[in-house]
Amino acid sequence: MPEGRLCNKQPVTTKEQLDALLADTRGRVYYEEMNHLEVDKEKLRTSLKNTLKSRTRTWLDMCAHCGLCADSCFLYTVNNRDPKQVPAYKIQSTLGEIVRRDGDVDNAFMQMAMETSWAKCTCCNRCGMYCPYGIDMGVMFSYLRGLLFSQGFVPWELKIGSGMHRIFHAQMDVTSEDWVETCEWMADENSEEWPGLEIPVDKEGADIMYTCNAREPKHYPEDLAEAAILFHLAGENWTVPSEGWEQTSLTMFAGDWEGCKQQVQNVYSAIERLKPKRVIGTECGHAHRATVIEGPYWAGRPDGLPPAPYIHYVEWVAEALRTGKIKIDPAKRIKEPVTLQDSCNYVRNHGLALVTREIMSYLVEPGYFIEMTPNKEHNYCCGGGGGFNGVGKFRPQRNVALRKKRDQILATGAKLVIAPCHNCWDAIRDLEEEYKIGIRWSFLKPLLIKMAIVPDHLKPKEDE
Amino acid sequence: MYEFITGPLLWVVFAVFLGGLAYRVVWYVKGLSQPLDRVAYSSFPADGAKGAARSILFWLLPFGTHSWRTKPGFTAAFFGFHIGAVLVPLFLAGHAVLLKQRFGLSWPSLPQGLADVLTALALVSIVGIALRRISLPEVRIVTTWYDWLLLAIAAAPLFSGFIAVMHWGDYQFWLLAHILTAELLLVAIPFTKLYHVVGFFLSRAQIGMDYGIKRGGRKGRNMPW
Repeated sequence: MPEGRLCNKQPVTTKEQLDALLADTRGRVYYEEMNHLEVDKEKLRTSLKNTLKSRTRTWLDMCAHCGLCADSCFLYTVNNRDPKQVPAYKIQSTLGEIVRRDGDVDNAFMQMAMETSWAKCTCCNRCGMYCPYGIDMGVMFSYLRGLLFSQGFVPWELKIGSGMHRIFHAQMDVTSEDWVETCEWMADENSEEWPGLEIPVDKEGADIMYTCNAREPKHYPEDLAEAAILFHLAGENWTVPSEGWEQTSLTMFAGDWEGCKQQVQNVYSAIERLKPKRVIGTECGHAHRATVIEGPYWAGRPDGLPPAPYIHYVEWVAEALRTGKIKIDPAKRIKEPVTLQDSCNYVRNHGLALVTREIMSYLVEPGYFIEMTPNKEHNYCCGGGGGFNGVGKFRPQRNVALRKKRDQILATGAKLVIAPCHNCWDAIRDLEEEYKIGIRWSFLKPLLIKMAIVPDHLKPKEDE
Repeated sequence: MYEFITGPLLWVVFAVFLGGLAYRVVWYVKGLSQPLDRVAYSSFPADGAKGAARSILFWLLPFGTHSWRTKPGFTAAFFGFHIGAVLVPLFLAGHAVLLKQRFGLSWPSLPQGLADVLTALALVSIVGIALRRISLPEVRIVTTWYDWLLLAIAAAPLFSGFIAVMHWGDYQFWLLAHILTAELLLVAIPFTKLYHVVGFFLSRAQIGMDYGIKRGGRKGRNMPW
């Protein structure tokens, strides 16, 4: 069975394999090797037998082919209503076909399925809300991604991402030492402006354990500093774990089920080791989904819940504002038209729509907050979800996908977009770069720091 | 002939219909898997039940969901068809008479005029649904010969029954055609995706439990279908 050196059915588990992949600029060799990758039909058949049960089978079999899902899909509407972008068509022509043929599919089919899974679906789950049977094609596409990953048909960046998680327990090559050093550095760097600022590592029994996205320590550590400043301002007793701090899961985007489990167990071990009262994750949508919503099931937890209460950053912010732990200076509230991006992963998929609105009521002067249309659970994906942002091969399709969000933002007239989600934040940055509509975008943390009232005892002592 | 197809054959048909659907239900429920579906069905039965009930009820209501409201024409045809296709067979006076004769059951029935209107509405709706299938590219691409076959199987008893009741053409022929096509439909239901007569409730309940337990229900936010 021919397998490539880079493109093969084995997940990346060693530094050497990872480096070889990284050295292959834009995956040129990788994708060339993919053209010769054979499908292990027996393995595919076994996977279907073991993992495709009545819920998903019914979704595939019972679909009435009514086409009601078409308009629910932003990729259908931004691609000039191309019938090949109808969700039911996309899933029936890929997963549906694999099931009908009981795994008897070839290389060309698998490459088509790969493009459909990663460039024609962001797993936003909106179609499931519009289907009379509740057929959730986003869920099916993430299942299909798992089948494709196990056969080696996965975009190059996501093969790397999965390898990063398996080797570093993080989506980027950030080791525990790097992480702890970054924490110390950030605490130090900001201690003059914020006397007493700490990023306590591995403190047992704290009220809060904080987890984040590896891109924060790697590329913009100021985000970590901002989190620390806000916990400091709110007087929280908090900590970060030296190991198990990375909340994201490119393994989820890649369909690497085993990797998903390993990654989330790493975080849960930290919770079990440090025994915090609760855990708070950063402003990231997929990290929340991977660690709080789906993660417990990957880890085999019977109640579907993480080992300790685990909330999204927006829930903590809303609570801090509600209880007055953080007070906003009324003079500094946002007094320009501003809109809010709803992340599919914690709004449609975790019921936090009203939490972010509550935050807006504190941060924005009445009359300046403008909703996108549609919004809350019915909002559209940013255009870059589900790993779409990160796959170079599908960049042109991703850029088309951004048009929905561009048009939604333009219709609000707002020049500032609050996006408490890494993927959404990136997509909105990219859409500004691509389409130049003159907007700014922000996470909550920097806005909160700018607007919060700093109590005198936390201010730096003036030199006399 | 009439005696046979409304007697022994009807018994067999009902047995296959009910037995087949019972099998579908058992197969579906037994196949649900907490780790694979990623829904903690058994840990939160109250949240699950609430989510399931909401998920079914809103979708049973004409224009009760965002999706129904987005497509008013289709929604009208959909409910026009389904209301006729469910209520008329269950509560037609002629069917009640048969039940009384054959099984000694007394059964409520709809006024004949209303039943005729509902049947006519259902037939018009079927035409609308068929035209939509042909004319909209996003529906055409997912349509197969199987969809047309099932639509024909579902439409045939309504069509033949309506003609028989109206006494258009040869009454005996249309009556027999009606009974046989209806029996074909009943037998087809458990063996084809027409099993949605139970599948709709199962699938909607499942996604409702997913939303009620895992995707926000336990955060106190009801899914705004």
